[in-house]
Order: sequence, then structure tokens, then C-alpha cells
Amino acid sequence: MEPDAHLGEAAELYAIGALDAAERTAADAHIARCIECARRVGEAEETVLALERDVHVDPLAAAVAVPLRLRRREVPAWWVAVAAAAALIAGTLLPGLFAQRDTATLAMVHSHFNHAQFSGPNAPPAKVIYARDRSWYYVIVEGSHRYDVYGLHDGQSVSLGTTQPKGATSELFWQRREQFDRIELRGDGKAIETASIR
Amino acid sequence: MRDPALEDGFARRDAKAYDAAYRAFGARMQATALRLLRDREAARECVQDVFLHLWRHPSGYVSARGSLEAFLVTCARNAALTRLRSGIRQQKMIASLDPSQGYLMEEDPIERDRIARALAQLTEGQASVVERAYYRGMTLAEVAAELAIPIGTVKGRLSSALRSLRRSLIPEASNGT
Repeated sequence: MEPDAHLGEAAELYAIGALDAAERTAADAHIARCIECARRVGEAEETVLALERDVHVDPLAAAVAVPLRLRRREVPAWWVAVAAAAALIAGTLLPGLFAQRDTATLAMVHSHFNHAQFSGPNAPPAKVIYARDRSWYYVIVEGSHRYDVYGLHDGQSVSLGTTQPKGATSELFWQRREQFDRIELRGDGKAIETASIR
Repeated sequence: MRDPALEDGFARRDAKAYDAAYRAFGARMQATALRLLRDREAARECVQDVFLHLWRHPSGYVSARGSLEAFLVTCARNAALTRLRSGIRQQKMIASLDPSQGYLMEEDPIERDRIARALAQLTEGQASVVERAYYRGMTLAEVAAELAIPIGTVKGRLSSALRSLRRSLIPEASNGT
């Protein structure tokens, strides 16, 4: 796409996301200078909006329930230093206690992940956070009780280990690429609650 | 109904206008992203990402372009497409998308009928590329390969289909205004 060439039919392709990254960048540069093409893109965008109106939305629902964040949370430099020192002390004095949580935190930093809530009658609040590519699963249960954790897929169950008390929670981080449909918490051999992995 | 004060504020990168736009259009943007991603959390992230990106790169919107709502919904759709196309697992998901199946979303029957009638007015060739490129999120190359037609033909059909849909769905468009 030439920088000064009008978009022509690319205006509609731009609006529906059919241009590749380079074409899109060139189109953006042109639209910024050419009101005629900006209007044509705007018309195509109105068509996209019209095609999206078949879904009923509640303006008070989901999306706006979470406040808009226009800045990523920034951590002050002094806090990084304090946290690093605390981690060093804790790691030295209590080896192993923080290792699993650190590994889980690093996995989350380096991955895209989802989470699912466990549900079951009279069961404690619990969540599983898992990599979207299913390369790790991190189970967190409120309270200090230990639970056996199982991954279920196609009627087969795999033992992932036992949650370990970490202050107010009991946790298990399991790192291996495995596809599960559900994660189950068991106590005394009985299923207590499950979470669906989607 | 367009809100000129809101649109001008958004174009000027006014934080209050961003917040108002999020409250006014965020739910529609999320529904659009959810249709493609089928993951509420990912759709919600998509909406946040769009606003954050525009906040950092504010040259994208001017009111002369068109309505802010259309601009933001299109941005959300494109952000969802980028996520969808970013990995092999997602590519498999694209192939399995069935546009006839809603995903936990409540339909507006009147709009649904209006859109169905507009789509029915497309030629067979136009309808086949719209279904794949718009509703399934396939790339132009994927559409061309699946339909065994040149990519230029896909582009031409998509562009003419969108213009035809505009005339059907937006009454003032067919009056030339």
C-alpha cells in the first residue's frame, strides 16, 4: 500500500481486521492525513457496529463492573528494593517455603493464564490458575488444610500432589504440559470440589 | 445517538471522556470480543487493552471519522482477532467456530432478524467470504485457500459485501448521506 494512495476497498478490509500488520500501519498513517479515507473507514466501522447489534448487552454488566485502568500498576523503586530484601531473608531463613510460590509467580509473569473457581457443597473457597497452553496449574485453597489434587481428562484421573499450607492458604503448583477438563480437590479420598478447565 | 462532547473529549485524550466512553460502550465492546474469543476474562482484558493502547497512542480517533462507538467496537473486534490469531490452539478454535451458535449471549431478536435479512441479500460469493472472514475471523489467505479463489477476489467480495450490508443496515447510507 503506497503511503499517499487512497485506501479504496482496503477501507472495508481495514474495518473488519482483514489487513495484515504492515498494511494496517500504512493505512493508519494515511487515515491520519486523509479525511476522505477516514470517513470511508468510519462508514465501514458503522457497518461493523450494525453487525454486532444482534447481541443484547447490559451497559451495567460485566465489562464495566471492572474499573477502567489507563495505566499499568507501577511499583515504586523503593518497594522493589524492600521486596527483594524480604525475599532474600525469607529464602535464606525458610528455604522451600517460598520456592513453590516464587515458581508460580514467575510462571504467571511469563504466561497468559486463565482461572477457574472450584465449586462444591460446603467446600472452602478455592481457585485454580492455569496457563492457557496448559503447561502449568496453580491451585490455591483458603485455609491451611491439605488437599489431594487430581487432574481429570476423558475419564482418567492423574494425581498432581497435595496442597501445602502457606499462611492463610494451602497451595499446589504443578508444572507439566497436560490437558485436563477438570481439576478436583479430594480429602480423605473423597471428592470435595471441582473446577472446570476451559 | 452521538455525543459530540464525549467524542471531542476522547479525541483530546481527556481521562474523564475515556472513563465515560468505557461506561457507555465497554459492554458492547466486550460482547463483540466475546463472540470471537469465547472467554469472558480474555474479552474483558481485550477491552482494557484497547483503552490502554488508545491512551498511549491517542492519534487513532477524530470525530470526523465517524461515531466513537463504532470506532471502539471495531477496535475491540480487531484486538480480539489479534489474540485469536496469535497461536496454533487459537487457529484450531477459529476453524471450529460455528457462527450459528451464540456463546452464552442473549440475542436481540429484532436486530438478529434485521441482520439475517441483510446477509440474505448478499450474493452467494459475498456471503461465503463474510461468513469466514467476519464471523469466523479467518485471514484473507485462509479464506482464499478454503474457497480456492484468488486473494484479490476475496478482497473484492468482502469490500462489496460490507458496502451492501451498510446500505441494508444503515438507512441513511442508502439515501447517500
